[in-house]
Amino acid sequence: MLSDITIGQYYKAQSVVHRMDARMKLILTVLFIVIIFLCKNFFSLAVMFVLTAVSILVSRVPFRMFFKSLKPIIPIILITAALNIFYVKKGTELLSFWKISVTTGGLSTAFFMAVRIICLIMVSSLLTYTTVPTQLTDAIERLLSPLNVLHISVHTLAMMMTLALRFIPTLIEEIERITNAQKARGADFESGRFLERVKAMIPVLIPLFVSAFRRAYELSFAMTCRCYHGGEGRTRMKQMKLSAVDFAALGVFLLSLAGVIVLNRFFQAMI
Amino acid sequence: MRAFIEFKDVSFSYDVEDAQPVPVLQHFDLAIAQGDFVAILGHNGSGKSTVAKLCNGIEIPQSGDVTVNGMNTKEEENLLEIRRHVGMVFQNPDNQIVATIVEDDVAFGPENLGVEPAEIRRRVDQALRDVGMYDLRFSEPHKLSGGQKQRVAIAGVIAMQPACIVLDEPTAMLDPRGRKDVMKTVQMLNRDFGITVLYITHFMEEAAKANRVVVMDKGRILLDGTPREVFQHDDALRAAGLEVPQATELSLLLKRDGVPLSGSILTIEELSRQLEELLS
Ligand SMILES: Nc1ncnc2c1ncn2[C@@H]1O[C@H](COP(=O)(O)OP(=O)(O)OP(=O)(O)O)[C@@H](O)[C@H]1O
Ligand SMILES: [Mg+2]
Repeated sequence: MLSDITIGQYYKAQSVVHRMDARMKLILTVLFIVIIFLCKNFFSLAVMFVLTAVSILVSRVPFRMFFKSLKPIIPIILITAALNIFYVKKGTELLSFWKISVTTGGLSTAFFMAVRIICLIMVSSLLTYTTVPTQLTDAIERLLSPLNVLHISVHTLAMMMTLALRFIPTLIEEIERITNAQKARGADFESGRFLERVKAMIPVLIPLFVSAFRRAYELSFAMTCRCYHGGEGRTRMKQMKLSAVDFAALGVFLLSLAGVIVLNRFFQAMI
Repeated sequence: MRAFIEFKDVSFSYDVEDAQPVPVLQHFDLAIAQGDFVAILGHNGSGKSTVAKLCNGIEIPQSGDVTVNGMNTKEEENLLEIRRHVGMVFQNPDNQIVATIVEDDVAFGPENLGVEPAEIRRRVDQALRDVGMYDLRFSEPHKLSGGQKQRVAIAGVIAMQPACIVLDEPTAMLDPRGRKDVMKTVQMLNRDFGITVLYITHFMEEAAKANRVVVMDKGRILLDGTPREVFQHDDALRAAGLEVPQATELSLLLKRDGVPLSGSILTIEELSRQLEELLS
């Protein structure tokens, strides 16, 4: 049912990861991406793999959720793996036919890249599964607020993101309503070739745009009436506060960084 | 009683690109007393919403003055203070809710005013209790019914602690149950908190609950008085494209046919009581 739409892909659960400060989660996600690109061999990659696994276990988000977010990426993983297998020529040759040869080096590079991408996807999904979208936009606003010095209005950008999130379900409902109205008049959205179907969408899109603009106009009125005047002098009801858990998590990530650097030095680089 | 909102000789027209301006109000006078509950009735296009928008400086009159608690809406530096004093609730609840969680939306107004976080928390909880939405404070607005959304919008206004609330057809998109809930909430705000209410509506039964009814027609005030007085002028109301409450209409018809009903009748209960007495 439409009324069941949840904004974003937040997965409700009770866990330390859910309770963590959104700013710290955002920082740690970025840090994770940086570290995983620093990994040069399987030993350092293993550290990050373990870190990913532990984070997921602690979050209490079921594994099938992560599989769901991995699914659309599988073709990309496969293509990258294939490219690595066929292009990287290192180590002993395993088989060769025509102009193509597969080497041990190629296989292990392909595997390395696949694990890296999977960890990346898992960790970024973890962020969106455990953080309410508005908290995320809030966190972005607060983390980027130094940019205000450069006359970039971070508040305005964050407000736009919040409003977009707020109106997604409203507009989806509207699409459903218009589609039904057009169907009742005999519109056909399901059959025909691609171009015909696109054409059938026009009578849905035009009323949708008209109504979206009307909504935006009314919303701007309503916001003005509620004394909205930009980010200046604005306070927030919900303060963000770093707690012990946040610092502990930061500690774990920094230790992993140190581990990766050390393992990179002690073992031979493979990429 | 002191006038809280005052329109003095106000003329207003909408500027339209490449066309004649649309005149809406001419030499319009209206004073809303502090603590009063005023309903505004009028046919489509009679200028009701325009009056609402003039109340908090969303629109500024071309001539004449609108003052709120003595502050003129013409002066830019008054506007924030005026909007804090005069809260607005519009017809479509979807287009006035800004946050994805009920309590965050109620906090929006006080946040804009720069109120301290702990104080915002207190006001938000109180406002949600006042409108009976506290249990749903963590809900997502799009999952609420129309009446519930409208009560969230009202909570968002009272969290700013206004002296006056202007509601522009707040029940037009609601089912009968939502309509009743919203009306009850507004009556409570007026009675218990002394908040001045300006209630624009199409429903005669709602207008009958006000202390004062102002009927507008083509940008002018046609009738002004208590509901009992106003609804006696059924011919004038019909000429302005409006009706009278059903009980009043029936009682007027009966009176014309010689049934000795006394006084002016507003509600079904009053009518049935008088008829019972006559029959027994
Ligand atoms: N933004 C605008 N630009 C131009 N004309 C407008 C604008 N808003 C309203 N009008 C015109 O001003 C007149 C009064 O409009 P207003 O919205 O005040 O009426 P209303 O009594 O609220 O009507 P309704 O019952 O339909 O809400 C109408 O003729 C309308 O067409
Ligand atoms: Mg109107």
